[in-house]
Amino acid sequence: MIELRDVTKTFPGTDSPAVHRLNLTINKGEIVVLVGPSGCGKTTTLRMINRLVEPTSGSIVVGGTDINDLAGHELRRGIGYVIQQIGLFPHRTVRQNIATVPSLLGWDDTRISERIDELVDIVDIDTELLDRYPSELSGGQRQRIGVARALAADPTVLLMDEPFGAVDPIVRARLQEGLLTLQQRLQKTIVLVTHDIDEAILLGDRVAILNVGGHLEQYDTPAEILRSPANDFVADFLGSDRGIKRLSLIPISDIPLDVGPVVSFDASRAEVDRVMAEFGIDWIAIGSSGRLDGWVLASEIPASGKVSDATLRPFETRLDISDDLKQALDAVVSSHTSVAAVFDGEHYLGMLTMETISREIIQ
Amino acid sequence: MTVFAQSASGIFQWSWVQRNLDAIWDRTLEHVYLTAVAIGVGFVISLGLSLVALRWRRAYQPITLVTGLLYTIPSLALFAFLVPVTGLSVLTAEIGLVSYTLLILIRNMVTGINEIPSDVIESADGMGYTRSRRFWEIEVPLAMPVIITGIRIATVTVIGLVTVTSLIGLGGLGFFILRGLQTFSSPIGTTQIIVGTALSVFLAVAADLSLSGIQRLLTPWASRKEAK
Repeated sequence: MIELRDVTKTFPGTDSPAVHRLNLTINKGEIVVLVGPSGCGKTTTLRMINRLVEPTSGSIVVGGTDINDLAGHELRRGIGYVIQQIGLFPHRTVRQNIATVPSLLGWDDTRISERIDELVDIVDIDTELLDRYPSELSGGQRQRIGVARALAADPTVLLMDEPFGAVDPIVRARLQEGLLTLQQRLQKTIVLVTHDIDEAILLGDRVAILNVGGHLEQYDTPAEILRSPANDFVADFLGSDRGIKRLSLIPISDIPLDVGPVVSFDASRAEVDRVMAEFGIDWIAIGSSGRLDGWVLASEIPASGKVSDATLRPFETRLDISDDLKQALDAVVSSHTSVAAVFDGEHYLGMLTMETISREIIQ
Repeated sequence: MTVFAQSASGIFQWSWVQRNLDAIWDRTLEHVYLTAVAIGVGFVISLGLSLVALRWRRAYQPITLVTGLLYTIPSLALFAFLVPVTGLSVLTAEIGLVSYTLLILIRNMVTGINEIPSDVIESADGMGYTRSRRFWEIEVPLAMPVIITGIRIATVTVIGLVTVTSLIGLGGLGFFILRGLQTFSSPIGTTQIIVGTALSVFLAVAADLSLSGIQRLLTPWASRKEAK
């Protein structure tokens, strides 16, 4: 969909290029994240794709057309663009802001207002906001409007430059989730720039790690980059918690689950002792097939009594089968029992322990 | 009390006002006319020079230097220089008045455009605006509050300055002030000074208020408060 061939950009008055002989292929419908330290040319690269920056040499092809075959402003009307500060037009209402590119393209009023109705639904905008001015919006709302505006003329390519950089972490997490949901529905080709490796791992189908001077150090899926960083620079950039980051990419459903130390309510003390010895623990879970009712402390079961004589405690950390191993790790370390119970809805599937999780990290 | 009332009636005579209502009305109209022409012509010239300054950055400094110089020339001296060339005419008055508007108007136009946040400009470019559409549809509307503020300051300044043109036989309400000064010791003299001054001040306040009303109408987005 987007093809950068030997692209170099040297800004006037500088000796070393900001981007040096960069080759990058971005497939249709994928999110590619450009990430790297400041000065790595990631924003310059992005801005060359819609010709806000003209490459010094090399060529860029978008959707089979060399971008130099179009006038700059015509090219840009066909490519969605979102920047960190959003840049909504303060003198125009939200509705008018969203209608920017359709108006530039000369759509009639009916078509524009139908399209705005669609976008309100797609990007999840409160219709009350449509007649407000940007100064009356919160940061998160502005960001959504910015995305709606970029999608207004239904471009196939969306360029995003630190789109979540100006909002607080809680709003950011929600907006990132929103982008992924949006992408499932729209299948745009998205190029996103960030300096935040966690954001890159979360959002990218593929991640391009750039080094100062626009050198491409590694370009691969997040899982592959985390599994085998191409060099020391990439390993450093990923950080010392690389193993833990990888866990967020592995769904629990990929891991074989043990049923764990589960006995029924009428199990005898002797049976409980046998199971506890097998697992090396001092508590026991109570349940039956597909059910998990809670757990009890062994010390509370009388020597000649039954499990049901002890106090039943609930499993406070429950995982869903759709969660990932990073969430599982968090659940395990914060649970009394050092295990996390995994459910599919109300149906009990099995337990994850520290051992199962660390086996995945080492692999 | 009686002393004050006597002295007040000694410096202000209602009877003079009643006898001269027609003249007062004509001079007020003349005052408004001289001001309006000066602001209109000043605006057109300033717009042209501002466009030049925005297109060629290096032109801005010379433009402000020359208009700044014009602004500093004492108005009396300026009219004295002009009379031998253009005579005792409306043209002379307007050349002077217009020169005083240029610096204020140009500075506000250029600053208004230059102070637009860069992210707005970048997103306009990114959306596919051409340079000229960006200027007229995004930059000019956003600079409007600052530009209108410039017009307000220039208008108030010119309304005050018009009185000085009484020296070349015009002057609007300044006509009464000048004539009052010539007969200062008489109650008729002080009455004229008071009428000329008060109406001139009233015009300035009225013009400023109506322009600020226009400003709010033209830029509804600027007056709405921040949400949060």
